[in-house]
Amino acid sequence: MISYKKVFDKAQAEGLEALELYVSEERNLSFSLFRGELDSYNISDSRVIEARGIYEGKIGYATSEKADSTTPDYLIGHIKQNARLTNSDDKSIIFRGSEKYRRKNVFSKKLQDTPVEEKIRLAKEFHTAVTSRNDKIREVEISYQESTEAVTLTNSYGLKLNSKANSAVLFAQAVATDDTGETKSGMVFRLITDLNDFDINETAEKLVNDTVSQFGSGPCESGKYRCVFSGNAFASLLGAFLQNLSSEEVQKNSSLLAGKLGEKVASSRLTVFEKPLEKNASFRYFDDEGVATSNKTLIKNGTLQTYLYNLTTAANDGKASTGNGYKSRDGKIGVGLRNVFVKPGTLTEEGLFEKAGEGVYITSISGLHAGMNPQSGNFSLIAQGYMVRDGKRAEPLSLITVAGNLFDVFAQIMAVGNNQELRMNGYFVPSVLVKKISVSGK
Amino acid sequence: MITKTTALEVLNVALSTGADFAEIYLEEDDQTSIRMDNGKVESCNDTLTRGAGIRLLKDLRSVYGYTNNISRTGLLKLAEDLSGSFDGERIVTVESISKVRQSNKHRPRIKYSDYPREDLIKMLAESSDACLSYDEKIVRCEILFAYNYKTVEIFNSNGKQFGDVHSRGRYTVTATARDERGIETFHNRPGAQKGMEFFLEEVDMNEEARSAAQSALTLLGAKECPSGKMTVIIGNGFGGVIFHEACGHSLEASSVSKGLSVFSGKKGEKIASDIVSAVDDGTIEGAWGSGNIDDEGNPTARNMLITNGVLTSYLVDSFNGRRMNEPGNGACRRESYRYEPTSRMSNTFILNGKSTPEEIIANTEYGLYAKNMGGGSVNPATGEFNFAVNEGYIVENGKIKYPVKGATLIGSGKEVLLNIDMVGNDLLRAQGMCGAASGSIPADVGEPTIRVQNMTVGGRGGTVK
Repeated sequence: MISYKKVFDKAQAEGLEALELYVSEERNLSFSLFRGELDSYNISDSRVIEARGIYEGKIGYATSEKADSTTPDYLIGHIKQNARLTNSDDKSIIFRGSEKYRRKNVFSKKLQDTPVEEKIRLAKEFHTAVTSRNDKIREVEISYQESTEAVTLTNSYGLKLNSKANSAVLFAQAVATDDTGETKSGMVFRLITDLNDFDINETAEKLVNDTVSQFGSGPCESGKYRCVFSGNAFASLLGAFLQNLSSEEVQKNSSLLAGKLGEKVASSRLTVFEKPLEKNASFRYFDDEGVATSNKTLIKNGTLQTYLYNLTTAANDGKASTGNGYKSRDGKIGVGLRNVFVKPGTLTEEGLFEKAGEGVYITSISGLHAGMNPQSGNFSLIAQGYMVRDGKRAEPLSLITVAGNLFDVFAQIMAVGNNQELRMNGYFVPSVLVKKISVSGK
Repeated sequence: MITKTTALEVLNVALSTGADFAEIYLEEDDQTSIRMDNGKVESCNDTLTRGAGIRLLKDLRSVYGYTNNISRTGLLKLAEDLSGSFDGERIVTVESISKVRQSNKHRPRIKYSDYPREDLIKMLAESSDACLSYDEKIVRCEILFAYNYKTVEIFNSNGKQFGDVHSRGRYTVTATARDERGIETFHNRPGAQKGMEFFLEEVDMNEEARSAAQSALTLLGAKECPSGKMTVIIGNGFGGVIFHEACGHSLEASSVSKGLSVFSGKKGEKIASDIVSAVDDGTIEGAWGSGNIDDEGNPTARNMLITNGVLTSYLVDSFNGRRMNEPGNGACRRESYRYEPTSRMSNTFILNGKSTPEEIIANTEYGLYAKNMGGGSVNPATGEFNFAVNEGYIVENGKIKYPVKGATLIGSGKEVLLNIDMVGNDLLRAQGMCGAASGSIPADVGEPTIRVQNMTVGGRGGTVK
């Protein structure tokens, strides 16, 4: 273990104008059950030091998992070398600090202190609850993943911020086979901050239903359909749509929402907020550059309210950062979001089916990394779901794709449901009814 | 990274409560990434990752943990914590450790760390220019160049020590084209397990950049792909992602051994048409997915997965092999010390057939020619897959007619393999990152041009009847 002061001392001695250290410490616990028995168990403990520094006006990066007497030389040496090679016109900024930070405690000591035996027992009970519900369920795989992350951001201007959060996720996949040998699989996950809040029966019921209700599924006739997206499915589309709010994409000519501030970019039924200060596992009161985050409206009744800025892109536009500077995988600060909420409407999901009359209900879409182009907005994605007939959920669908353009889809939202599904990445999105979507099947 | 004495001590602590196997995996990985946007270097980052993973097995249970405190104290603590998962008596004691020597087939000739970074950046800037000056509609060129040098050491309770090194480099160029019709992007990303010589002698980055620009322009002018069931010709190279997704994942012991794969218990049975043979080969010199050994120390192998349509081998790691009564066949991999290793692909591809690509196109009355594929995904339980076509053309009366965009191919692995009716003679491998339980690992996909009957194509350009 090294003293971080030595890194700052080295930076000063080597002539760096500013230095920031972003240290994340992570502890994980995970296990999985196969046929109700523990088949794997993982624990971990790790620390990463990400350093950024300004040298001769340019910013350089270096990261190390090693923390010993060689670390200050490694970090500062590479920052200098890398800063020299950088020739971007972007302004290099290490942040002096926001006026006010809204810190909250989201760390659950209770979750951390609950003995692992209890967590395993809960997973086993859940396993029994799933398998005993339906004899078509052939295999169930359950995994529990708990992680604790502590982040400390310090810089040579004296800024020091830290946050610590923990949460657990329980995943389960069920495989069911019917008399004809047809195989279907279903998946469910629940975010857990308190074991007592996990509703075993409700979750098991959902998993079993989602799995066995797919028997007899197949493609529908190709064509254009009214479409109810589940919150989970719509969240995937929303995530891709919101990438176009990144000021970086706007400034680099890659966003179709460039120049649309204050203009209509979606149906007036859609209102979207970012609430990083919502008290949950995705809570963050400062972004990865140390800027205080704030809750804000991104899209109000279909009208674009703001782009998302980090310090560098804000400087390019002569604006203030919106607190959306988050690190990409290689340490460079990009633009990101925490806790996205879609304002719920008044109709229940059944109400949306009724309003749709005839159409499809899409419960999941996948393959976004390949089938979605967030820039052009074009997508073509494999989907699962059900037909909607006579205002009700009808037979199951599989091996279909839904295709469209994000901007068209968002313009054609007819209604937003009053239900809300939480996705793991901190999206809270209700079901949404869209006027028309291309479905290809038979 | 640690001494044999420390390894012995840690293994024996790990085994103290009845595990029948213990393993220490140590890794140090020096990574560099350079990002360029429109010719300007936006960021350079060096990352040093270092850590250890300890794995204990007892019958059909596994326990895994990792730390980046690889001091004797750190490792002993982890071993002790992990041994707490079992409560039996010791059944294995390691008395000594001997090093297993093997030759290194994938040694870089010009180490990236020896090549001046300024010169590399000049080459990248030149390729960026080649992309941006290709056409005035090219509005952005992003480049990511990443390379690493990874050293691995493995000690296990069979008294064995293994070592391997990996040097990989990859160039990713993304071209964005824009006009009144919209925005389109296209990328090329060649890579190899070689040194800088790969980019000096084998791959022309300027050419890769121009070809990305050309493809983005083609997409701007492309019509929406029609949807429906049709004949699909899948181009060579990255087109092999179809086999990777539709079949490869379902042959991994992690799902096969648990009966969770559509191909569980199908060895010796016909699962593909007679003209299809496929292999997973981790031994190819300098290939993206190769290694001298796998991540549990077994030598990598060339495993024939399908021979003339018949399933001949699975991809097996030692742990999942226990359920199948099969030994590991060199297919156990992991992204890093942060992942428990499991059965994975290395370089997986369909072997050459007899047709020329020209013959395949000339013999197709109507269909989609999926020249360049994007990524995809598969549900191993049902074998249902999907993947995106990055660059596609409609074929009519044996001729390539016009480009189409927005196409997705969907289907189930079981069916598509049986519906392959022509296999070309132009095998090519391409590089990808494969994500699964043990992380994201470099893997080659590959195939010659193939033709598949009756495939479902998704798109927005109306329905084909």
